[in-house]
Amino acid sequence: MSDEQNETPSDRSVIGVFHLTKTYGDQHALDDVNFNIGNGEFVFMVGPSGAGKSTLLRMIYMDEYPTSGQVVVGNFVSTRMRRRDIPYLRRRVGIVFQDYKLLEDRTVAENIGIGMRITGASPFAIKRRVASLLNDIGLYHKRLEMPQSLSGGEQQRVAIARALVNHPAILLADEPTGNLDPDSAEDVLRLLFKINNGGTAVLMATHDHSFVQNFGQRIIHLRDGKVFEDKKTGLVGNLSDRLDALRMDRERQKRVDHAIKRQRASSLAPTKTE
Amino acid sequence: MMRRILYIIDEALRTVKRHKGLTSISVIIMSLSLLMLAVFLLATDNLLKLVSETQEEMKIYVYLEDGVGQQEAEKLYMTILGQAEVSRVEFVSKEDALADFKSQLGEDADLLSALSTNPLPNSFWVVPKEEYKTRDAIVGIADRLAQLKGVEEVRYGKEFLDKFASIVKGIYTVDIVVGFIVIMSAIFIIANAVRLTVISRKRTIEILKLVGATNPFIVAPFIIEGAFQGGVAAVLSLVLLRIVTEVSRSAIPDLNFFSLEKSLIYMLTCVLIGALGSFMALRRYLRMQ
Repeated sequence: MSDEQNETPSDRSVIGVFHLTKTYGDQHALDDVNFNIGNGEFVFMVGPSGAGKSTLLRMIYMDEYPTSGQVVVGNFVSTRMRRRDIPYLRRRVGIVFQDYKLLEDRTVAENIGIGMRITGASPFAIKRRVASLLNDIGLYHKRLEMPQSLSGGEQQRVAIARALVNHPAILLADEPTGNLDPDSAEDVLRLLFKINNGGTAVLMATHDHSFVQNFGQRIIHLRDGKVFEDKKTGLVGNLSDRLDALRMDRERQKRVDHAIKRQRASSLAPTKTE
Repeated sequence: MMRRILYIIDEALRTVKRHKGLTSISVIIMSLSLLMLAVFLLATDNLLKLVSETQEEMKIYVYLEDGVGQQEAEKLYMTILGQAEVSRVEFVSKEDALADFKSQLGEDADLLSALSTNPLPNSFWVVPKEEYKTRDAIVGIADRLAQLKGVEEVRYGKEFLDKFASIVKGIYTVDIVVGFIVIMSAIFIIANAVRLTVISRKRTIEILKLVGATNPFIVAPFIIEGAFQGGVAAVLSLVLLRIVTEVSRSAIPDLNFFSLEKSLIYMLTCVLIGALGSFMALRRYLRMQ
Protein backbone atom coordinates (compact mmCIF):
# COMPACT_ATOMS: atom_id res chain seq x y z
CA MET A 1 0.00 0.00 0.00
CA SER A 2 2.89 2.29 0.64
CA ASP A 3 3.92 1.42 -2.87
CA GLU A 4 0.72 2.86 -4.25
CA GLN A 5 1.61 6.12 -2.61
CA ASN A 6 5.11 6.02 -3.93
CA GLU A 7 3.98 5.24 -7.47
CA THR A 8 2.12 8.48 -7.66
CA PRO A 9 4.31 11.28 -6.46
CA SER A 10 2.39 14.53 -6.38
CA ASP A 11 2.92 16.97 -9.20
CA ARG A 12 5.20 19.10 -7.05
CA SER A 13 8.51 17.56 -6.19
CA VAL A 14 10.32 18.09 -2.89
CA ILE A 15 13.74 18.12 -4.44
CA GLY A 16 14.80 19.04 -7.91
CA VAL A 17 18.40 18.69 -9.02
CA PHE A 18 19.24 20.27 -12.38
CA HIS A 19 22.55 19.86 -14.22
CA LEU A 20 24.31 19.86 -10.90
CA THR A 21 28.09 20.03 -11.14
CA LYS A 22 30.50 20.44 -8.29
CA THR A 23 34.24 20.66 -8.69
CA TYR A 24 36.99 20.95 -6.12
CA GLY A 25 40.00 22.28 -7.94
CA ASP A 26 40.11 20.16 -11.08
CA GLN A 27 38.37 17.27 -9.32
CA HIS A 28 34.81 16.60 -10.47
CA ALA A 29 32.86 15.54 -7.39
CA LEU A 30 29.55 15.74 -9.24
CA ASP A 31 29.08 15.99 -12.96
CA ASP A 32 25.77 17.05 -14.53
CA VAL A 33 23.48 15.28 -12.09
CA ASN A 34 19.73 15.48 -12.69
CA PHE A 35 16.81 14.04 -10.77
CA ASN A 36 13.57 14.87 -9.02
CA ILE A 37 12.16 13.50 -5.81
CA GLY A 38 8.40 13.70 -5.45
CA ASN A 39 6.41 14.39 -2.34
CA GLY A 40 6.35 11.32 -0.15
CA GLU A 41 8.75 9.35 -2.32
CA PHE A 42 11.34 6.94 -0.91
CA VAL A 43 14.66 6.93 -2.73
CA PHE A 44 17.89 5.11 -2.06
CA MET A 45 21.05 6.71 -3.35
CA VAL A 46 23.75 4.11 -3.73
CA GLY A 47 27.30 4.18 -4.93
CA PRO A 48 30.79 3.39 -3.69
CA SER A 49 32.42 5.79 -1.26
CA GLY A 50 33.74 8.78 -3.14
CA ALA A 51 30.96 8.62 -5.71
CA GLY A 52 29.63 11.98 -4.49
CA LYS A 53 26.70 10.91 -2.30
CA SER A 54 27.60 13.05 0.69
CA THR A 55 28.51 15.98 -1.52
CA LEU A 56 25.14 15.74 -3.18
CA LEU A 57 23.34 15.64 0.18
CA ARG A 58 25.32 18.66 1.36
CA MET A 59 24.14 20.54 -1.73
CA ILE A 60 20.57 19.64 -0.83
CA TYR A 61 20.79 21.01 2.71
CA MET A 62 22.91 23.78 1.24
CA ASP A 63 26.00 23.38 3.31
CA GLU A 64 27.71 23.88 -0.02
CA TYR A 65 26.64 25.37 -3.33
CA PRO A 66 26.92 23.88 -6.80
CA THR A 67 29.71 25.01 -9.08
CA SER A 68 27.05 25.08 -11.77
CA GLY A 69 23.49 23.88 -12.05
CA GLN A 70 20.76 24.26 -9.48
CA VAL A 71 19.18 22.56 -6.50
CA VAL A 72 15.57 23.30 -5.61
CA VAL A 73 14.16 22.25 -2.25
CA GLY A 74 10.53 23.30 -1.88
CA ASN A 75 10.60 27.06 -2.27
CA PHE A 76 14.35 27.29 -1.76
CA VAL A 77 16.53 27.65 -4.81
CA SER A 78 20.28 27.25 -4.43
CA THR A 79 21.11 30.07 -6.81
CA ARG A 80 18.94 32.51 -4.91
CA MET A 81 19.80 31.53 -1.33
CA ARG A 82 20.86 34.16 1.14
CA ARG A 83 22.76 33.11 4.22
CA ARG A 84 19.88 34.03 6.48
CA ASP A 85 17.46 31.76 4.56
CA ILE A 86 19.45 28.65 5.39
CA PRO A 87 18.01 28.02 8.88
CA TYR A 88 14.50 28.01 7.42
CA LEU A 89 15.52 25.51 4.75
CA ARG A 90 17.01 23.27 7.43
CA ARG A 91 13.69 23.22 9.25
CA ARG A 92 12.04 21.80 6.13
CA VAL A 93 14.76 19.17 5.64
CA GLY A 94 15.53 16.62 8.34
CA ILE A 95 19.11 15.40 8.31
CA VAL A 96 20.53 12.18 9.74
CA PHE A 97 24.18 11.15 9.75
CA GLN A 98 26.18 8.00 10.19
CA ASP A 99 27.63 9.33 13.46
CA TYR A 100 24.21 10.48 14.86
CA LYS A 101 25.52 13.91 15.90
CA LEU A 102 23.62 13.99 19.17
CA LEU A 103 24.41 16.50 21.90
CA GLU A 104 26.11 14.51 24.62
CA ASP A 105 25.26 16.95 27.38
CA ARG A 106 21.52 16.68 26.87
CA THR A 107 18.98 13.99 27.51
CA VAL A 108 17.34 12.02 24.73
CA ALA A 109 14.17 14.12 25.02
CA GLU A 110 16.14 17.38 24.96
CA ASN A 111 18.04 16.21 21.90
CA ILE A 112 14.83 15.55 20.04
CA GLY A 113 13.25 18.81 21.17
CA ILE A 114 16.18 21.06 20.32
CA GLY A 115 15.10 21.59 16.71
CA MET A 116 11.76 22.89 17.92
CA ARG A 117 13.20 24.90 20.78
CA ILE A 118 15.27 26.98 18.42
CA THR A 119 12.11 27.95 16.54
CA GLY A 120 10.71 29.46 19.72
CA ALA A 121 7.92 26.90 20.07
CA SER A 122 6.13 26.71 23.40
CA PRO A 123 7.49 24.23 25.96
CA PHE A 124 4.12 22.50 26.02
CA ALA A 125 4.04 22.00 22.24
CA ILE A 126 7.62 20.72 22.32
CA LYS A 127 6.83 18.28 25.08
CA ARG A 128 3.84 16.89 23.23
CA ARG A 129 5.67 16.52 19.93
CA VAL A 130 8.71 14.93 21.58
CA ALA A 131 6.53 12.45 23.47
CA SER A 132 4.81 11.37 20.29
CA LEU A 133 8.14 10.94 18.47
CA LEU A 134 9.57 9.00 21.41
CA ASN A 135 6.63 6.62 21.10
CA ASP A 136 7.19 6.30 17.35
CA ILE A 137 10.80 5.25 17.83
CA GLY A 138 9.94 3.09 20.84
CA LEU A 139 12.25 4.86 23.25
CA TYR A 140 9.80 6.70 25.50
CA HIS A 141 11.16 4.82 28.51
CA LYS A 142 14.66 6.16 27.77
CA ARG A 143 13.69 9.80 27.31
CA LEU A 144 15.65 10.99 30.35
CA GLU A 145 18.83 9.07 29.57
CA MET A 146 21.93 10.56 28.02
CA PRO A 147 22.68 9.51 24.44
CA GLN A 148 25.97 7.84 25.40
CA SER A 149 24.11 5.27 27.47
CA LEU A 150 22.10 4.17 24.42
CA SER A 151 23.10 1.60 21.82
CA GLY A 152 24.10 2.80 18.37
CA GLY A 153 20.77 1.81 16.88
CA GLU A 154 18.89 3.64 19.61
CA GLN A 155 21.03 6.74 19.14
CA GLN A 156 20.29 6.70 15.44
CA ARG A 157 16.57 6.43 16.14
CA VAL A 158 16.86 9.46 18.43
CA ALA A 159 18.68 11.32 15.66
CA ILE A 160 15.89 10.43 13.25
CA ALA A 161 13.27 11.67 15.72
CA ARG A 162 15.18 14.91 16.09
CA ALA A 163 15.24 15.32 12.31
CA LEU A 164 11.46 14.89 12.19
CA VAL A 165 10.55 17.26 15.00
CA ASN A 166 9.60 20.15 12.73
CA HIS A 167 7.60 17.99 10.29
CA PRO A 168 10.05 18.27 7.41
CA ALA A 169 8.96 17.55 3.84
CA ILE A 170 11.94 15.26 3.35
CA LEU A 171 14.35 13.30 5.48
CA LEU A 172 17.95 13.07 4.26
CA ALA A 173 19.93 10.17 5.66
CA ASP A 174 23.65 9.86 4.96
CA GLU A 175 24.70 6.24 5.59
CA PRO A 176 22.35 6.02 8.59
CA THR A 177 23.11 2.34 9.04
CA GLY A 178 26.84 2.63 8.42
CA ASN A 179 27.86 2.25 12.05
CA LEU A 180 25.22 -0.28 13.02
CA ASP A 181 25.08 -4.01 13.42
CA PRO A 182 22.68 -5.71 11.03
CA ASP A 183 19.81 -5.95 13.55
CA SER A 184 19.96 -2.27 14.42
CA ALA A 185 20.41 -1.38 10.76
CA GLU A 186 17.23 -3.22 10.01
CA ASP A 187 15.39 -1.40 12.82
CA VAL A 188 16.51 1.90 11.40
CA LEU A 189 15.45 0.91 7.90
CA ARG A 190 12.04 -0.19 9.17
CA LEU A 191 11.70 3.14 10.94
CA LEU A 192 12.53 5.00 7.74
CA PHE A 193 9.90 3.01 5.86
CA LYS A 194 7.38 3.78 8.59
CA ILE A 195 8.17 7.49 8.39
CA ASN A 196 7.78 7.36 4.64
CA ASN A 197 4.40 5.70 5.11
CA GLY A 198 3.42 8.75 7.09
CA GLY A 199 3.98 10.87 3.98
CA THR A 200 7.50 12.18 4.51
CA ALA A 201 9.83 11.78 1.56
CA VAL A 202 13.08 9.97 2.37
CA LEU A 203 16.41 10.09 0.57
CA MET A 204 18.85 7.60 2.03
CA ALA A 205 22.44 7.39 0.86
CA THR A 206 24.32 4.13 1.32
CA HIS A 207 27.29 2.36 -0.18
CA ASP A 208 25.68 -1.02 0.49
CA HIS A 209 23.83 -1.77 -2.72
CA SER A 210 22.86 -5.30 -1.82
CA PHE A 211 21.32 -4.26 1.47
CA VAL A 212 18.72 -2.03 -0.16
CA GLN A 213 18.28 -3.79 -3.47
CA ASN A 214 15.06 -5.65 -3.16
CA PHE A 215 12.70 -3.38 -1.25
CA GLY A 216 10.91 -2.19 -4.34
CA GLN A 217 12.10 1.39 -3.97
CA ARG A 218 13.61 3.74 -6.44
CA ILE A 219 17.39 3.58 -6.48
CA ILE A 220 19.61 6.31 -7.83
CA HIS A 221 22.96 4.80 -8.57
CA LEU A 222 25.81 7.28 -8.41
CA ARG A 223 29.20 6.48 -9.87
CA ASP A 224 32.12 8.88 -10.32
CA GLY A 225 29.88 11.87 -9.70
CA LYS A 226 27.38 10.87 -12.37
CA VAL A 227 23.95 9.25 -12.25
CA PHE A 228 24.80 5.79 -13.53
CA GLU A 229 21.32 4.41 -13.17
CA ASP A 230 18.01 5.70 -11.82
CA LYS A 231 15.35 3.03 -11.62
CA LYS A 232 12.67 1.50 -9.57
CA THR A 233 13.57 -1.92 -8.25
CA GLY A 234 11.15 -4.75 -8.06
CA LEU A 235 9.94 -5.88 -4.69
CA VAL A 236 10.62 -9.53 -3.99
CA GLY A 237 7.64 -10.66 -1.97
CA ASN A 238 6.45 -7.80 0.21
CA LEU A 239 8.49 -5.41 2.27
CA SER A 240 7.96 -7.21 5.52
CA ASP A 241 8.77 -10.61 3.99
CA ARG A 242 11.87 -9.18 2.45
CA LEU A 243 13.06 -7.85 5.81
CA ASP A 244 12.26 -11.17 7.45
CA ALA A 245 14.18 -13.01 4.76
CA LEU A 246 17.12 -10.75 5.38
CA ARG A 247 16.98 -11.50 9.05
CA MET A 248 16.79 -15.22 8.51
CA ASP A 249 19.83 -15.02 6.28
CA ARG A 250 21.59 -13.11 8.95
CA GLU A 251 20.66 -15.44 11.74
CA ARG A 252 21.88 -18.39 9.74
CA GLN A 253 25.09 -16.48 9.10
CA LYS A 254 25.40 -15.73 12.81
CA ARG A 255 25.03 -19.37 13.74
CA VAL A 256 27.71 -20.27 11.23
CA ASP A 257 30.00 -17.54 12.56
CA HIS A 258 29.40 -18.68 16.07
CA ALA A 259 30.20 -22.28 15.19
CA ILE A 260 33.39 -21.24 13.47
CA LYS A 261 34.44 -19.17 16.45
CA ARG A 262 33.80 -22.02 18.84
CA GLN A 263 35.70 -24.34 16.58
CA ARG A 264 38.66 -22.00 16.53
CA ALA A 265 38.56 -21.41 20.26
CA SER A 266 38.68 -25.11 21.02
CA SER A 267 41.44 -25.73 18.51
CA LEU A 268 43.43 -22.83 19.93
CA ALA A 269 43.00 -23.80 23.56
CA PRO A 270 45.62 -26.56 23.70
CA THR A 271 48.24 -24.54 21.84
CA LYS A 272 47.73 -21.77 24.35
CA THR A 273 48.62 -23.94 27.31
CA GLU A 274 51.79 -25.15 25.76
CA MET B 1 9.92 37.44 22.59
CA MET B 2 9.81 36.64 26.29
CA ARG B 3 10.15 32.95 25.49
CA ARG B 4 13.25 33.65 23.40
CA ILE B 5 14.87 35.61 26.19
CA LEU B 6 14.11 32.78 28.60
CA TYR B 7 15.56 30.28 26.12
CA ILE B 8 18.76 32.29 25.82
CA ILE B 9 19.24 32.68 29.56
CA ASP B 10 18.36 29.05 30.15
CA GLU B 11 20.86 27.88 27.53
CA ALA B 12 23.60 30.09 28.96
CA LEU B 13 23.06 28.84 32.51
CA ARG B 14 22.87 25.23 31.34
CA THR B 15 26.22 25.39 29.58
CA VAL B 16 27.84 27.10 32.55
CA LYS B 17 26.44 24.39 34.82
CA ARG B 18 27.41 21.52 32.54
CA HIS B 19 30.91 22.74 31.86
CA LYS B 20 31.75 23.77 35.40
CA GLY B 21 35.41 22.78 35.04
CA LEU B 22 36.09 24.63 31.83
CA THR B 23 34.08 27.63 32.96
CA SER B 24 35.99 27.92 36.22
CA ILE B 25 39.34 27.57 34.49
CA SER B 26 38.50 30.27 32.03
CA VAL B 27 37.12 32.52 34.80
CA ILE B 28 40.33 32.05 36.81
CA ILE B 29 42.51 32.83 33.80
CA MET B 30 40.39 35.87 33.11
CA SER B 31 40.46 37.15 36.67
CA LEU B 32 44.24 36.81 36.93
CA SER B 33 44.83 38.75 33.75
CA LEU B 34 42.24 41.26 34.87
CA LEU B 35 44.06 41.56 38.18
CA MET B 36 47.14 42.61 36.25
CA LEU B 37 45.04 45.19 34.47
CA ALA B 38 43.40 46.33 37.70
CA VAL B 39 46.74 46.78 39.46
CA PHE B 40 47.82 48.97 36.60
CA LEU B 41 44.61 50.96 36.64
CA LEU B 42 44.79 51.45 40.39
CA ALA B 43 48.39 52.63 40.18
CA THR B 44 47.42 55.08 37.46
CA ASP B 45 44.42 56.20 39.46
CA ASN B 46 46.62 56.92 42.48
CA LEU B 47 49.25 58.71 40.43
CA LEU B 48 46.65 60.90 38.81
CA LYS B 49 45.22 61.70 42.20
CA LEU B 50 48.68 62.62 43.45
CA VAL B 51 49.24 64.84 40.45
CA SER B 52 45.93 66.59 40.85
CA GLU B 53 46.43 67.06 44.57
CA THR B 54 49.76 68.69 43.83
CA GLN B 55 48.17 70.81 41.17
CA GLU B 56 45.50 71.80 43.66
CA GLU B 57 48.15 73.62 45.63
CA MET B 58 49.54 75.47 42.68
CA LYS B 59 49.20 79.15 43.45
CA ILE B 60 50.74 82.35 42.23
CA TYR B 61 51.77 84.82 44.93
CA VAL B 62 51.52 88.46 44.00
CA TYR B 63 53.31 90.84 46.39
CA LEU B 64 52.27 94.46 46.38
CA GLU B 65 54.43 97.56 46.65
CA ASP B 66 54.46 99.19 50.05
CA GLY B 67 52.67 102.35 49.08
CA VAL B 68 49.62 100.68 47.59
CA GLY B 69 46.49 101.78 49.37
CA GLN B 70 43.17 100.14 49.98
CA GLN B 71 41.49 101.50 46.86
CA GLU B 72 44.31 100.60 44.58
CA ALA B 73 44.47 97.12 46.07
CA GLU B 74 40.80 96.63 45.38
CA LYS B 75 41.29 97.74 41.80
CA LEU B 76 44.17 95.26 41.41
CA TYR B 77 42.00 92.54 42.91
CA MET B 78 39.36 93.14 40.26
CA THR B 79 41.94 93.26 37.47
CA ILE B 80 43.49 89.97 38.50
CA LEU B 81 40.14 88.27 38.92
CA GLY B 82 39.24 89.61 35.48
CA GLN B 83 41.95 87.49 33.83
CA ALA B 84 40.51 84.64 31.82
CA GLU B 85 42.80 82.02 33.37
CA VAL B 86 42.12 82.94 36.99
CA SER B 87 39.57 81.13 39.08
CA ARG B 88 40.16 82.62 42.53
CA VAL B 89 41.98 85.51 44.15
CA GLU B 90 42.50 85.93 47.87
CA PHE B 91 43.83 89.06 49.58
CA VAL B 92 46.34 88.58 52.40
CA SER B 93 47.00 91.75 54.38
CA LYS B 94 50.43 92.28 55.82
CA GLU B 95 48.97 91.73 59.31
CA ASP B 96 47.51 88.39 58.29
CA ALA B 97 50.81 87.47 56.72
CA LEU B 98 52.64 88.26 59.92
CA ALA B 99 50.18 86.27 62.00
CA ASP B 100 50.62 83.35 59.62
CA PHE B 101 54.33 83.65 59.82
CA LYS B 102 54.17 83.72 63.62
CA SER B 103 52.12 80.62 63.82
CA GLN B 104 54.52 78.90 61.44
CA LEU B 105 57.44 79.82 63.63
CA GLY B 106 55.72 78.40 66.70
CA GLU B 107 58.07 78.56 69.68
CA ASP B 108 60.47 80.86 67.92
CA ALA B 109 57.72 83.45 67.43
CA ASP B 110 59.19 85.82 70.01
CA LEU B 111 62.00 86.45 67.57
CA LEU B 112 59.54 88.63 65.71
CA SER B 113 58.79 90.80 68.70
CA ALA B 114 62.18 92.36 68.10
CA LEU B 115 60.72 93.91 64.96
CA SER B 116 59.30 97.34 65.35
CA THR B 117 57.53 97.37 62.02
CA ASN B 118 55.93 94.63 59.95
CA PRO B 119 58.34 93.86 57.11
CA LEU B 120 55.85 91.73 55.19
CA PRO B 121 53.98 93.17 52.22
CA ASN B 122 50.31 92.96 51.36
CA SER B 123 49.75 90.20 48.85
CA PHE B 124 47.30 88.18 46.81
CA TRP B 125 47.37 84.54 46.16
CA VAL B 126 45.94 83.58 42.83
CA VAL B 127 44.53 80.18 41.91
CA PRO B 128 44.47 79.50 38.17
CA LYS B 129 41.61 77.56 36.61
CA GLU B 130 42.21 73.79 36.33
CA GLU B 131 43.06 73.83 32.64
CA TYR B 132 45.70 76.52 33.22
CA LYS B 133 47.56 74.68 35.93
CA THR B 134 50.39 73.84 33.58
CA ARG B 135 53.88 75.16 33.72
CA ASP B 136 53.63 77.29 30.58
CA ALA B 137 50.27 78.80 31.46
CA ILE B 138 51.41 79.71 34.94
CA VAL B 139 54.55 81.36 33.66
CA GLY B 140 52.40 83.34 31.23
CA ILE B 141 49.98 84.52 33.92
CA ALA B 142 52.79 85.36 36.30
CA ASP B 143 54.58 87.45 33.68
CA ARG B 144 51.44 89.35 32.93
CA LEU B 145 50.64 89.98 36.60
CA ALA B 146 54.17 91.25 37.17
CA GLN B 147 53.51 94.04 34.64
CA LEU B 148 50.59 95.43 36.66
CA LYS B 149 51.10 98.74 38.39
CA GLY B 150 51.57 98.40 42.13
CA VAL B 151 52.92 94.86 41.92
CA GLU B 152 56.36 94.45 43.34
CA GLU B 153 57.00 90.79 42.74
CA VAL B 154 55.32 87.62 41.53
CA ARG B 155 56.34 84.20 42.74
CA TYR B 156 55.13 80.83 41.68
CA GLY B 157 57.82 78.29 42.61
CA LYS B 158 59.51 78.17 39.25
CA GLU B 159 61.96 75.41 40.09
CA PHE B 160 59.29 73.20 41.58
CA LEU B 161 57.06 73.75 38.58
CA ASP B 162 59.78 72.79 36.15
CA LYS B 163 60.60 69.63 38.03
CA PHE B 164 56.96 68.73 38.50
CA ALA B 165 56.19 69.17 34.81
CA SER B 166 58.98 66.85 33.75
CA ILE B 167 58.06 64.23 36.35
CA VAL B 168 54.43 64.25 35.25
CA LYS B 169 55.50 63.95 31.64
CA GLY B 170 57.69 60.97 32.52
CA ILE B 171 54.92 59.31 34.49
CA TYR B 172 52.44 59.73 31.66
CA THR B 173 54.82 58.29 29.10
CA VAL B 174 55.62 55.23 31.20
CA ASP B 175 51.98 54.85 32.12
CA ILE B 176 50.80 54.88 28.53
CA VAL B 177 53.43 52.39 27.39
CA VAL B 178 52.82 50.01 30.29
CA GLY B 179 49.09 50.50 29.94
CA PHE B 180 49.15 49.57 26.28
CA ILE B 181 51.09 46.37 26.99
CA VAL B 182 48.90 45.41 29.94
CA ILE B 183 45.63 46.07 28.14
CA MET B 184 46.70 44.22 25.00
CA SER B 185 47.86 41.18 26.93
CA ALA B 186 44.71 41.14 29.06
CA ILE B 187 42.54 41.24 25.95
CA PHE B 188 44.65 38.55 24.30
CA ILE B 189 44.46 36.24 27.30
CA ILE B 190 40.74 36.79 27.80
CA ALA B 191 39.98 36.30 24.12
CA ASN B 192 41.85 33.00 24.23
CA ALA B 193 40.13 31.84 27.38
CA VAL B 194 36.79 32.56 25.79
CA ARG B 195 37.82 30.92 22.54
CA LEU B 196 38.63 27.78 24.48
CA THR B 197 35.06 27.70 25.73
CA VAL B 198 33.69 28.24 22.26
CA ILE B 199 35.89 25.58 20.66
CA SER B 200 34.63 23.07 23.19
CA ARG B 201 31.13 23.70 21.87
CA LYS B 202 32.05 23.57 18.22
CA ARG B 203 29.97 20.43 17.84
CA THR B 204 27.00 22.04 19.53
CA ILE B 205 27.20 24.97 17.16
CA GLU B 206 27.43 22.67 14.16
CA ILE B 207 24.41 20.65 15.29
CA LEU B 208 22.35 23.75 16.05
CA LYS B 209 23.04 24.94 12.52
CA LEU B 210 21.98 21.61 11.09
CA VAL B 211 18.63 21.67 12.85
CA GLY B 212 17.96 25.18 11.57
CA ALA B 213 18.89 27.56 14.37
CA THR B 214 19.35 31.14 13.25
CA ASN B 215 22.60 32.86 14.12
CA PRO B 216 21.18 35.10 16.87
CA PHE B 217 19.81 31.99 18.57
CA ILE B 218 23.21 30.35 18.48
CA VAL B 219 25.18 33.43 19.44
CA ALA B 220 23.07 34.92 22.20
CA PRO B 221 23.63 32.24 24.87
CA PHE B 222 27.38 32.40 24.26
CA ILE B 223 27.42 36.16 24.60
CA ILE B 224 25.46 35.98 27.85
CA GLU B 225 27.89 33.33 29.04
CA GLY B 226 30.90 35.44 28.06
CA ALA B 227 29.41 38.44 29.83
CA PHE B 228 28.74 36.32 32.89
CA GLN B 229 32.32 35.03 32.93
CA GLY B 230 33.61 38.58 32.50
CA GLY B 231 31.49 39.78 35.41
CA VAL B 232 32.55 36.99 37.76
CA ALA B 233 36.19 37.46 36.78
CA ALA B 234 35.88 41.21 37.39
CA VAL B 235 34.52 40.70 40.90
CA LEU B 236 37.22 38.12 41.64
CA SER B 237 39.98 40.39 40.39
CA LEU B 238 38.63 43.29 42.46
CA VAL B 239 38.65 41.12 45.58
CA LEU B 240 42.25 40.10 44.85
CA LEU B 241 43.16 43.72 44.17
CA ARG B 242 41.64 44.76 47.47
CA ILE B 243 43.84 42.24 49.25
CA VAL B 244 46.90 43.46 47.33
CA THR B 245 46.02 47.05 48.26
CA GLU B 246 45.62 46.29 51.94
CA VAL B 247 48.94 44.45 52.00
CA SER B 248 50.77 47.27 50.22
CA ARG B 249 49.37 49.88 52.59
CA SER B 250 52.17 49.09 55.01
CA ALA B 251 54.60 50.36 52.39
CA ILE B 252 52.44 53.05 50.78
CA PRO B 253 50.03 54.38 53.42
CA ASP B 254 48.33 56.82 51.02
CA LEU B 255 47.25 54.10 48.59
CA ASN B 256 43.60 54.52 47.67
CA PHE B 257 41.25 51.84 46.40
CA PHE B 258 38.88 52.50 43.49
CA SER B 259 35.82 54.56 44.29
CA LEU B 260 32.51 52.69 44.04
CA GLU B 261 31.79 54.45 40.79
CA LYS B 262 35.10 53.42 39.25
CA SER B 263 34.65 49.83 40.47
CA LEU B 264 31.28 49.69 38.73
CA ILE B 265 32.68 51.08 35.49
CA TYR B 266 35.49 48.54 35.71
CA MET B 267 33.07 45.64 36.17
CA LEU B 268 30.87 46.83 33.34
CA THR B 269 33.90 47.02 31.07
CA CYS B 270 34.89 43.46 31.99
CA VAL B 271 31.36 42.26 31.24
CA LEU B 272 31.58 43.90 27.83
CA ILE B 273 35.04 42.43 27.17
CA GLY B 274 33.69 38.95 28.00
CA ALA B 275 30.70 39.38 25.71
CA LEU B 276 32.82 40.79 22.91
CA GLY B 277 35.39 38.00 23.32
CA SER B 278 32.64 35.40 22.88
CA PHE B 279 31.29 37.13 19.84
CA MET B 280 34.70 37.39 18.18
CA ALA B 281 35.50 33.74 18.87
CA LEU B 282 32.13 32.68 17.50
CA ARG B 283 32.29 34.62 14.31
CA ARG B 284 34.62 32.08 12.75
CA TYR B 285 32.17 29.25 13.28
CA LEU B 286 29.18 31.24 12.17
CA ARG B 287 30.60 31.71 8.73
CA MET B 288 30.08 28.01 8.20
CA GLN B 289 26.76 27.53 6.48
